[in-house]
Amino acid sequence: LTLEPIITSRTNGGRPLFTAIMALCLAIMYAPSLYLLLASLNPGEQLGLVAPSRYSLTWYVALMNDHRLFGALEESAIVGFATAVLATPIGLLAALAYRAMTRTRNLFFLFILSAMFVPGTIEGLGLSVVLKLVHVRPSWFTVMIGHLLWALPFAVTVLLIGLSAVKTNTVAAARDLGAGPFRAFVDITLPLMRGSLVSSFIFAFLLSLNEHARAYYLVGRQNTLPLYMFGAMNSGASPTIYAFSGAILVVSFAAVALVLFAAPRRQDGHRAESLRRDHDNAFYQFSVGSSRGAGTISAAANR
Amino acid sequence: MTLHGKAAGRPGRPAFLLALPSLLVFVGVGVVPLALIAVWSLWSFDPDTYWIKPVWTLASYDALLKNGRSIVFLQTAGLAALTATVSTLLAVPAATVIGLLTRPRRATLLIALFTIPFFTSGLVRAFAWRLVLGREGVVNNALISFGVVRTPVEWLLFSDFAVVLGMVAAYLPFAVIPIVLVFTRIEHSVIRASQDLGAGFWRIFFSIVLPLIMPGMVAGFLFVFVVAIGTSMEVQLLGGAGASSISIMINDVMRVVNFPLAFSIATVVVILLIALIVIANHTLRLSFMFEDLGT
Repeated sequence: LTLEPIITSRTNGGRPLFTAIMALCLAIMYAPSLYLLLASLNPGEQLGLVAPSRYSLTWYVALMNDHRLFGALEESAIVGFATAVLATPIGLLAALAYRAMTRTRNLFFLFILSAMFVPGTIEGLGLSVVLKLVHVRPSWFTVMIGHLLWALPFAVTVLLIGLSAVKTNTVAAARDLGAGPFRAFVDITLPLMRGSLVSSFIFAFLLSLNEHARAYYLVGRQNTLPLYMFGAMNSGASPTIYAFSGAILVVSFAAVALVLFAAPRRQDGHRAESLRRDHDNAFYQFSVGSSRGAGTISAAANR
Repeated sequence: MTLHGKAAGRPGRPAFLLALPSLLVFVGVGVVPLALIAVWSLWSFDPDTYWIKPVWTLASYDALLKNGRSIVFLQTAGLAALTATVSTLLAVPAATVIGLLTRPRRATLLIALFTIPFFTSGLVRAFAWRLVLGREGVVNNALISFGVVRTPVEWLLFSDFAVVLGMVAAYLPFAVIPIVLVFTRIEHSVIRASQDLGAGFWRIFFSIVLPLIMPGMVAGFLFVFVVAIGTSMEVQLLGGAGASSISIMINDVMRVVNFPLAFSIATVVVILLIALIVIANHTLRLSFMFEDLGT
């Protein structure tokens, strides 16, 4: 990557037009959420923005008295944590398997990523019927199984990109110096993948935390957070639902920002500029690759 | 156990062992239920047990075509196609800015901004449109205060317009990211050469860039379309009275425990989506985008 844009010359209106369209994209992606966040700081009964001096956490405080909310929050936290705890090591093994494979790797990857394409309603429906047949009672555990299928393709993609930063030479050097395969894995591969392991864990947790369609079919007596929220959203708006939504947004944004910005920066603090450029490159690949689109095409395509 | 088949020179069995846990999850939790659903969609409903019995019938597929269910299929596909079209049209300029017109550092930031929505609550983001588009929402207030309209515009919310807008906002990253990935594969020298030969920006864009990013555009369109087919929350939160989608229809059919019908709808959708991806992949070689993933 160079440090300059590829096209720096005059664009006959192309640059302003395209930049405006991109701004429009970002606006429709983010503006409603930000508006909701600001409106949730309005202490009044009716919605809308107020002057920053009147911002208040009234509705967030009111959330504290919502016991059903805390039940749902606890359920979602358990499910999300269990999903992340399982998805990360299973995803790591799958990424290592992909690297060890030769002819079958594209088929394997396609298979893993195809789970992203199946509508959540259908996956949830199928799984719930099967679990009922084998007499597994719906609980946090059944929701977690559904969420594992949902989070695993993301975890594998993130970890594959993390693994691609581990040069085979480095591992080979460790082996030359007498390390067994397990020692080389624990002392070389794992530390180099620390960042992507953390990313995979956080992403799996967030995907589970915000998942709705599968949980609808798999949930036991205790609702998860999105199910509870969906009910609240459709049953006459109490302003607490906006505070609730705002809290979810803040947590999600903070967690993703932590993964995307904080982690890489900490690493390159003591590196030379040339390395930093490499790192930018890796980060660029990471950001691209950690999206669903990235893996999926490759899956659909590589067969 | 060999962890790096290439380095150790003997791939095969260790790779399979490493892949085993994920394969177990995908087969056990994904493939088996979907395959059973496909089989059970051909069984008949048993009113005695409120379940199904192994009497083979095509009745559920017959019912699929009745009660306006095929219209729901077409409506869902239509809104998904519209969403995918709008998303792709917006994504091409946005990805071009990232790929050609901005510095790498800023491009990285922009890619991050297009990645974040994957991991935030789709439910909250759809719900937020209610505040923006409602009778007393931001848009209507602005239109009235600028004197564009006297009374609030009704079709902004609880309409197909709101559903498509909500879906475009939610699934735009699916269209942007594949095009950005294709941009990373374009040789800069190609662009430089055309500049040297005197081509202006628009000539470069239409004659060189657009043909080169076509696979990314098709992939992006397809991803948005597929995801929009399967979603239900935008329709439920933003759609008009009586608006339906395939997923909502499945939920409704399950509420009256008509298992075979729900299974047949699900089977048809899964088969159509798989066929779509396979055909697109065979007609357009998309693979060059991801050649060096994980190697």
